[in-house]
Amino acid sequence: MTKILSTDFVTVVQKDYLQVLVRGNGTDQFNQIINKEISINPPLKNLEIKSDDKHIFAKNSFDQWSLLYLVEEDYKKILKFIENLNLNDEILASDYSYGQVYFEITGKNKNEFLNKLTNFDLRSKKFPVSTMAQTLIARIDCSIYNLGSKYVITCNKSFEDYFQKRLKDSANLS
Amino acid sequence: MPALRNKNCNYISNKEIKITFDGKSYSAYEGDTIASALLRNNIRLIGRSFKYHRPRGIYTCGIEEPNALVQILNEHNEPNTRATVKRAYEGININSQNRWPSLSFDIGSINNILSPIFSAGFYYKTFMGPKGFWKKIYEPLIRRTAGLGKPPKNFRSKSIHQNHNVDILIVGGGLSGLIAARKLINTDNEVLIVEQDSFLGGILKNSNKIKKIDGKNVFEWIQETEKLILKSKNIKILKNTLVTTYNFTNHLIALEDKYVGKNIDINKSELTLHKIRTTQTILANGHIERFISFRNNDLPGVMLASSFEKYIERYGVVPDEKPVIFTNNSSTISLVKSLINLNCKPCAYIDSRKKKDIEDETKEYLSKNNIPFYPESEVEGCEGNKKVEKVYIRNINNKILSISASMLCPSGGFNPDIHLFTQSKGLVKWDDKIISFKPDTAFQKTITLGSVSGNYEFKNLCNEINKKLSFLKANDLNIDIETNIRDDFSINELWETKTDKMSKWSKSFIDLHNDVTTKDLKQAINEGYDRIEHLKRYTTNSMGTDQGKISSINSLGIVSKILNKKIAEVGTTTYRPPYAPLSFAAIAGRSTYEYYDPERKTPIHNWHIKNNAVFEDVGQWKRPWYFKKNDSETMHQAVQRESKQTRQTAGILDGSTLGKIEIKGKDALEFMNLIYTNAFTKMKPMTSRYALMLGEDGMIMDDGIICKINDKHFIATTTSSGAPKVLSHMEEFLQTEWPHLQVYLNSITEQFTTFNISGPKAREIISKVFTDIDFSNEKFPFMTFKSFNYKNTQARIMRASFTGELGYEIYISPKHALHLWEQIFHYGKEFNLVPYGTETMHLLRAEKGYVVISQETDGTVTPLDLNFNWMIGKKKKDFIGKRSLTRSDTAREDRKQLVGIVPIDKSQFIEEGQHVLERENLPSKIKTPIEYLGHISSSYHSPNLNHCISMAMIKSGNKLKGKKLFVSTPKGTKNIAVEIVSPVFIDPENKRLVS
Amino acid sequence: MILIHCPYCGEREQSEFTNGGEAHVIRPKNPEALSDKEWGQYVFYRSNPKGIFHERWVHTHGCKKWFNAVRDTSTDTILKIYKLTDNRPEISEFKSPLKSPSGEPAVGSGNFAVKK
Repeated sequence: MTKILSTDFVTVVQKDYLQVLVRGNGTDQFNQIINKEISINPPLKNLEIKSDDKHIFAKNSFDQWSLLYLVEEDYKKILKFIENLNLNDEILASDYSYGQVYFEITGKNKNEFLNKLTNFDLRSKKFPVSTMAQTLIARIDCSIYNLGSKYVITCNKSFEDYFQKRLKDSANLS
Repeated sequence: MPALRNKNCNYISNKEIKITFDGKSYSAYEGDTIASALLRNNIRLIGRSFKYHRPRGIYTCGIEEPNALVQILNEHNEPNTRATVKRAYEGININSQNRWPSLSFDIGSINNILSPIFSAGFYYKTFMGPKGFWKKIYEPLIRRTAGLGKPPKNFRSKSIHQNHNVDILIVGGGLSGLIAARKLINTDNEVLIVEQDSFLGGILKNSNKIKKIDGKNVFEWIQETEKLILKSKNIKILKNTLVTTYNFTNHLIALEDKYVGKNIDINKSELTLHKIRTTQTILANGHIERFISFRNNDLPGVMLASSFEKYIERYGVVPDEKPVIFTNNSSTISLVKSLINLNCKPCAYIDSRKKKDIEDETKEYLSKNNIPFYPESEVEGCEGNKKVEKVYIRNINNKILSISASMLCPSGGFNPDIHLFTQSKGLVKWDDKIISFKPDTAFQKTITLGSVSGNYEFKNLCNEINKKLSFLKANDLNIDIETNIRDDFSINELWETKTDKMSKWSKSFIDLHNDVTTKDLKQAINEGYDRIEHLKRYTTNSMGTDQGKISSINSLGIVSKILNKKIAEVGTTTYRPPYAPLSFAAIAGRSTYEYYDPERKTPIHNWHIKNNAVFEDVGQWKRPWYFKKNDSETMHQAVQRESKQTRQTAGILDGSTLGKIEIKGKDALEFMNLIYTNAFTKMKPMTSRYALMLGEDGMIMDDGIICKINDKHFIATTTSSGAPKVLSHMEEFLQTEWPHLQVYLNSITEQFTTFNISGPKAREIISKVFTDIDFSNEKFPFMTFKSFNYKNTQARIMRASFTGELGYEIYISPKHALHLWEQIFHYGKEFNLVPYGTETMHLLRAEKGYVVISQETDGTVTPLDLNFNWMIGKKKKDFIGKRSLTRSDTAREDRKQLVGIVPIDKSQFIEEGQHVLERENLPSKIKTPIEYLGHISSSYHSPNLNHCISMAMIKSGNKLKGKKLFVSTPKGTKNIAVEIVSPVFIDPENKRLVS
Repeated sequence: MILIHCPYCGEREQSEFTNGGEAHVIRPKNPEALSDKEWGQYVFYRSNPKGIFHERWVHTHGCKKWFNAVRDTSTDTILKIYKLTDNRPEISEFKSPLKSPSGEPAVGSGNFAVKK
């Protein structure tokens, strides 16, 4: 966990999450296979998030799911999970753990703050709690998860320095 | 003596400030604009005009100002600042523009005498021939004289962008905008009000026209409204913000000046560009007063009547105590009332309307106050030395009278400010009652309220707003507006007055921005430019920053009279964004300098920095270009050293930027066979293959190495910059053409860090790092790979090479990447393992004759042109681009083909991009085109062969091997004699590769 | 910057999308059987009408999914968004503001600002 910035209105903290990207057809059989490996059910609706203390499980699109591990899980177990999923021809699971970076955005002005970097409509009527979106933030591809009190934003690790700088820059210049 | 102050003005503080104009110090009050501050000091000459360098003063009191543009010296020399908008502050240092050596004596004003040269179309007529004059004489001359101010110096703007998503945007916080806002308080709509001034109120604060609203004086009512809005949860106000652009799907751009009335802080952002997406737009952006063209209507001292009134009411300064007022409409009487309230008296009131059309109240008021009144009269012109001194009146009996006056306030009526409405693609319609265009059919969800909609009558305003906003289901408001003047608007059509006196100096202007005269319009029409769009470009009328704000409708009026057509028939030119000039810094926002393009770094990046890497941009990636051994080492030396060392012992490249795509599904094999040229069916699991991807036109798109895990699971690599393109190409065909194939794709570019180690000692080094793996040639042959567990993560090593040496590609989790990289160097030290960058990579592959996509290829090269026939799965029924390879054009034998080239004199060097020719010498003067065979695509000095090696794409290259040809040089007419050879310069038998 | 409704992600700005040209151009089943001219027609030729046009879009910086749209090219209005699996909407479903092939729409083209 690294604090990136903190003001009276917005706080950004970088987290070390782990992630699996799952592709599949979303049928009952698909759900059963997933369910066998992990207690949480894959969300059925597009852009929906299922979450508990340890996981965020989001449906990015009709054939794509992201599973984020919020607490330090045994990495070996995750790799085993991926291996097991990949035994099924109709599923592709890829380990995204160390190729992505994760930022938690909190604070009462988090929408206004992020809207310096993205035109994405963050209003709750367009981006409800427990949904996710893939969009451009600071001109790079990001995923954003709305957990109500906070947003989790992920992007490719290669952008880490750039993205951190843009976040700090936006806070400094507001 | 300073100008008279209106002490009742609520918007100017009593705090005195000092400002500097053209080196002299003046006092003003906090809240003044530069213009009001200068008027306070009786300064009326502000600048020189664009073309004729005529003396100019302050013409308006707002964004439409054509004349009073100044340079702000203390703000990094910011030029072309509108003095009528820019707020003054303590210490502001202002210069006038476009004059030399001084404002009152300006040499450029000789252009006024030379004006026949500068008349309509002068750019097109004057700057013709003789040949060569344009570049050497005309262009530098135009560049020196064009524009007004000088560019800013050494300034890095920190302006930012702010996006908004709202339900309703109200443009303009004037009377209409505020009534609409009051209606929307505490409704479900998220509302944003954008106001260009730092106070709300619009006409309520800018004029004396309205006495009371709901029984309260106007200032009280504005304050009450603002309080109600601020208390509400759903409405936000942006002040000092001007909407400049109205785009498709209700997207509007507005510019906020965050340093109004104070010096900018270079560490903060001085401007914010607001990008607003709204569901519904309410335009309540008002109107702009027009002028009337008469002789010398540009003299300092001529100022629009309502602007004069705004200086009195909004800025508390009376520019002149005895101005002449000249009008063609009923609204101007409020200026007289403003003056009388301050015990001032106009020295004449000239109304062009028929006596019977002039309101009785006006006549009575003028006579009661003993103001000389000239009905059915007009101003013939004015004269004076750099200021108005005499005004000539053509009275009801067609007699010219002259009176002395120092200011003259014309009013030619009002134009609804339709710019934003027409930018939104709405249609306007001519209205004979107000003699102007007004909004008619909206194209988007746009509503216009108040004077922008053509409604100039206050008593109808509340009804209009209730009616137009009824769909929002907000409560109807009933607001009582009590006016100081007759509410019904009356106007007669008058664009230009009849001129009597002619002198060389006299001109009647239609566009003060661009110095276009009414004579220019007439001349252009005589020369055949009678369409309004042609006329505009030929005369430059209403072009540039004016965008027709004050000149457009007047010119239509004059043109319609000449053509004897109705104005509606003449039509109007297109109003284009931005409404007012936007600085480029604001448009760019933070996408400049260090944030110009997002940067991608590999997990080894910091190691590269520590080891003196010089970086190169590859797409968004920062890749080491070469590593400097010491400060004095040149790039050439470094690359020669790295290349030599790699072939002698071993070198390593950070290849993490290579694109990687995981492909899985029961139809993966079929998909791979369709998307790549190669045949994958007979390929054994756990082997890899160099593969080509074509476009449907048969041209090479990308290349890479494919690892086959099994028939249902592949991993493909792509070029570093081609990765997103390749993935989307694959996705496109999967989704659109072959949805029946069950295949999933994931980009795993960032999930695996990649190192390429190669050289004769590569095996020895890597065997020490991965002690569990058997790297022997038998157990680990060329083009095979192994997957294994490395510290609980998945890793993969592939035997492949882009250098022609024994080589391995290591794919490792980014978690362990840096540690592993350092381990390899630990074990590689005894072999002098060298890190190398992209330049050495390119050199080594050229020695071996490997092509680089987008260096040898350019979108017009087929695999056949590169002699890659062996990579084409000819037995496959189909793959993307296959059919195109047998088209008559791609099957031609005389296409450009890949060859190697070496200079015959080995000491010579061939440059990339040069032409390959049959001629030894070029003529000193080239009169006819010279036939060339092709171009040099890659060229390096090979340290291992110790001479230059090149690759080229030349016509019928395959048939030219062994021939002597010539290559041009960047300088001189003598070409370099070369021999055409095979492009493989080193190890053509692949002994090193498979050893 | 127009707003486009991705059928999977909702309304987003145009900058997140890439236009994929004319829709419903089907890749020939057996390219080898086609003459050069027929194949060239498929590879190089696309229609470019003024008015109602069926075209492809992909949500490049979002879900990366392809979909189709019906757009009036004379006003840039997107009239319908539909999935690849949906049927091609008939032109008769839409009212074109164009009176003739070379004409201008009455409102929205921006070439004419004055109501006739």
